[in-house]
Amino acid sequence: MSAFLKQLYADRLAFAGLLIVLALGLSALLAPALAPYPEDVYDIHPAQRLQPPSRQHPFGTNHMGADLLSRVLFGARITVVIATVAVGSALLVGVPIGLVAGFYPGWASELLMRLADVFLSLPQAVLAIAIAQTLGPSIPNVILALSITYWPWFARVVFAEVRSLKNEVFVEATQALGVSPWRTLLLHVLPNVATPIIVRSSIGMGYTILTAAMLGFLGLGAQPPTPEWGREIAEARQYLPEAWWYATFPGLAIFVTVMGFNLLGDGLRDVLDPRLRRGRP
Amino acid sequence: MALVTRRALLRAAGLGALALATAGRRAWSATETSTYIFGQPSEFDTLDPHLVFDVGRVASRINLYDSLLRWEDNPPKLHPWLAERYTVSPDGRRYTFFLRKGAKFHDGSEVTAEAVRYSMERQLALGKGAASLFKPVVEPGSTRVVDRYTVEFNLREPRATFLATIDALYIVNPAVLKAHEKDGDWGSTWLSSNEAGSGSYQLEAYNPAVGFTGRRFAEHWLGWSGRHVERIEFRTIREPASRVNALLRGDIHATDGYLPADLIDKLSRSPEVKIIEQESMRIFVIMMHNQRPPLNDVHVRRAISYAFDYDSFINNIMKGRVVRNPGPIPNNMWGAPRDLQGYTYDLEKAKEELAKASVKVDRPLEISPLVGYPVTQDAAVVLQSGLRKLGIELKIKPETWPTLVGKARQQETTPDLWVLWVSTYYADPANWINEMYDSANWGAWKASSWYKNPQVDALLREALRITDQAQRQKLYEKAARLIVEEAASLWIYNTKWYGPFRTNVQGVRFCPIGNGREARWIYLT
Amino acid sequence: MRRLLYTAKRLALMVPTLFGLVVLVFVISRVIPADPVALLAGERATPQQIEALRHRYGLDRPLPVQLLAYLRQLARGDLGTSLYSGRPITTDLFGRFPATLELTLAAMAITVLLGVPLGVLAALYRNSWFDHLLRAVTVSGLAIASFWLAIMLQLLFSMELRLLPLGGRIGVPPPRALTGLFVLDALLTGNGAALRSALQHLCLPAFTLAFPALATVVRFTRAGVLDVLHSDFILYERAMGLPRPLIVGKYLLRNAMAATLTQIGLLFGVLLAGAVVVETVFDWPGIGLYAVNAIVLSDYNAILGFTLWSGFLYVLVNLLTDLGLMLLDPREATR
Repeated sequence: MSAFLKQLYADRLAFAGLLIVLALGLSALLAPALAPYPEDVYDIHPAQRLQPPSRQHPFGTNHMGADLLSRVLFGARITVVIATVAVGSALLVGVPIGLVAGFYPGWASELLMRLADVFLSLPQAVLAIAIAQTLGPSIPNVILALSITYWPWFARVVFAEVRSLKNEVFVEATQALGVSPWRTLLLHVLPNVATPIIVRSSIGMGYTILTAAMLGFLGLGAQPPTPEWGREIAEARQYLPEAWWYATFPGLAIFVTVMGFNLLGDGLRDVLDPRLRRGRP
Repeated sequence: MALVTRRALLRAAGLGALALATAGRRAWSATETSTYIFGQPSEFDTLDPHLVFDVGRVASRINLYDSLLRWEDNPPKLHPWLAERYTVSPDGRRYTFFLRKGAKFHDGSEVTAEAVRYSMERQLALGKGAASLFKPVVEPGSTRVVDRYTVEFNLREPRATFLATIDALYIVNPAVLKAHEKDGDWGSTWLSSNEAGSGSYQLEAYNPAVGFTGRRFAEHWLGWSGRHVERIEFRTIREPASRVNALLRGDIHATDGYLPADLIDKLSRSPEVKIIEQESMRIFVIMMHNQRPPLNDVHVRRAISYAFDYDSFINNIMKGRVVRNPGPIPNNMWGAPRDLQGYTYDLEKAKEELAKASVKVDRPLEISPLVGYPVTQDAAVVLQSGLRKLGIELKIKPETWPTLVGKARQQETTPDLWVLWVSTYYADPANWINEMYDSANWGAWKASSWYKNPQVDALLREALRITDQAQRQKLYEKAARLIVEEAASLWIYNTKWYGPFRTNVQGVRFCPIGNGREARWIYLT
Repeated sequence: MRRLLYTAKRLALMVPTLFGLVVLVFVISRVIPADPVALLAGERATPQQIEALRHRYGLDRPLPVQLLAYLRQLARGDLGTSLYSGRPITTDLFGRFPATLELTLAAMAITVLLGVPLGVLAALYRNSWFDHLLRAVTVSGLAIASFWLAIMLQLLFSMELRLLPLGGRIGVPPPRALTGLFVLDALLTGNGAALRSALQHLCLPAFTLAFPALATVVRFTRAGVLDVLHSDFILYERAMGLPRPLIVGKYLLRNAMAATLTQIGLLFGVLLAGAVVVETVFDWPGIGLYAVNAIVLSDYNAILGFTLWSGFLYVLVNLLTDLGLMLLDPREATR
């Protein structure tokens, strides 16, 4: 474990990614304590609307006079919840499907993978829009739409890995020894596909945060006064260019967060899976 | 000039690669005075004048088509248009219109009584757009051609507002439509992207994504004395900020007069733009579902009415560019009681009212602002914040306009509260108070407060039967007081129209019904 | 023969995918809560009228029957009628497609023309400051929300510097329509004013759309070139003493192109999805904006049409890239 951290630490960018992800987690957890005006998540002060960044309001105020820094911090909570639940449920659906389909070839497996392909035959954002629109705008529906569009990626990755593992000597050996197939699958195959799953998850978090923000921006996600980042940017548009801070800070928050997950994902891939290491000596 | 220098400096400072942008930007539009270009907020999905009846897309109807009468100016007055005059039978049920001779459709054929009859039948049969105005009183087949230039409408019952609404019936050319009819569709497939009218301009090009252009119809019956533009273009630019920028750059000559307050402020600082300010009649309302607990208790409704910060909303968010309208009729329309106080932001009174209520507010209420209209959302947030202080949770669930219109048809699906504007479809108090609070209109979106008071019903129906304005005014004032007393909805403000135009645009004639989009009076200098 | 077989196999595989796509979209569309029929019927329609319409559009039949009818209708190339405008959706989509195509092509051009050389340079000067800078930029490319990038570019170039228009496709009368692509039409008709205006309007949206795709292309080109650099045959060529520019030009690029080409199919998906938000922010009258309008108006038929259309295009482009790849690198067909 410490060797792993050491290796990660050696890759400065990946380590920065880890720090960003940790910071996101912390601000999500401690938002009520960190935010200068935690009540501004629902409180409004129209008399102080659209004030530029100042000592009282480091990120300025929004069109309802609420403190933007506080709202961005609380936005981290929403983002963490959306991304974790969406990627988590996509993982719970996609990984078993990939495992089973890869391990037991047959028409049912073929059908499952074809189904995954159908989902992948649409640009994900387009599919997410169609589903979110169908379900109606709300955070649970965004999560549902994102999981529905993301599970095939896990299924595909795991399927490919299991397929190639199946022919490896140790898997054939366990089977020859009469170990039950389920045991083989869980104790011998699954640990060996853990790496691509972890890497996929980290990158998937970044992707999911971006797509969730896009849905929020299009009005298909959280509803006011929820301080969801994408929705804040959509609301901020009409106050440009005067209130530049209003659109800038939530966008920066998205950028930094996704960057964190992407850097971490890249680093994890290098550390955990030397085969995929970037072409760097 | 200072701007140019600043721009030049910035360009020199390393942005030269993008310099292709600035050269010759104004070359085309600002010097030309024969084409008038309007930046249109909503797309013209269809040009069929019998399918849509909203204020946002009035330009295609009002410029390409004519009606029997037309509302002009502010306060609005009804002018003879295709009809030179009309008579009303003593029982108030038969309206006879006498058409002017020689008015021509764009294909050169004459506008006749048969065209008027056909247009009414078509409007009723299609059942959309302005059909809702005529359906309650005009039976299909009841319209009669007396002679080539005389047509009569035979109403089911007297209706004081029939004349006021007749301008919403646009006259189409039956010969052209019959030639394009398919499977009994009244030619609507064809007419959605074409035109068969007699209006001041005739359609030149149409692309639903971009807008439409029209050229002056030289043979229009009204004639063309004075100065005019040869071509009109209504170009769709959805984003308010983009419209404002296009106007500042001179790409367009004008845009809609209901921009967000911040953008009006920005435009008013430009020397190249003038803003024509007019009192309009477009009230901003939060509907409450009067039949659903706990909103069926008058005290709960009053408490909610006391929990909205009207002053802060009007002065801070709307920047004082609208005026408080405490009741269901626009202040500047007759029939609105002059001394009506209405509700103020007063949480103490709100709490007293809540204490008097016989039902408890034991569930979160739901409010639906309109998707794409940020002001409705701001109002929802303001109310949410006020109600929170009373311990009432208000959930915001934005919905699209068509969805809400669909939901507002039935009590079961109507949201607890929803936010909207009620514009001037015709200039008569009935446009607001009758359509919104006479329980006979339940089932139409305007009546989705589901308010019912037999006394009010009687007053409002009486006001539709009689034609004497002084008497009607008394009835409306009395009804308005009762409705406010019972807090049927939250009435917030009446819009002012801030029409932004390039300084070289002249002759704008604003009327709340056409919203200044009638182009035939406009010329460029 | 092998190529033919591969092509046939690839085409055959498309059929179940497309069928699945149609079913998927169909399933999504019929779960929608709000009632599309009420919208069609107009304001004071009676329940009977609503029922009649429901019947006319076949929404009262069992789902499998509706699906069959839907498939039959699609087979005729009919995506249905917009509930809102009353026009066939194919008409709407075809009318707007040139705008999206122009934008996508411009973005694709930026991506490839800029991405491939940058990727090659990054590989050749691996671990130089240039490589690191490029890596930082490409990593941000994948982390930036394109709607936010679009807004920031508008803020800087349109609102602050006033160099480029805020949105729209052209600020003067469009050139005579030959292809529907304004830049091309303006060139063909020699319309200088239209050309300048069209290019100005194209700048920001095309760059915004290209930015994330650019990151992908740079990364893959770099990795592809590095692979080739370390491969035996280049080492052999080097040992043979061939001049470096020749190696780079002749062998590297061709092999790197194959790596990039595999990405183009995927990129197209990225661009297509990106077009939805980019067109929204820049008011670009293409099918992305059409889709967003359809969302706002709950025009289900139109959303459905757009989704299917995107899926078909995406599948088609992926097929074409695969076939192109086969021509470039016949080994692909045997895999």
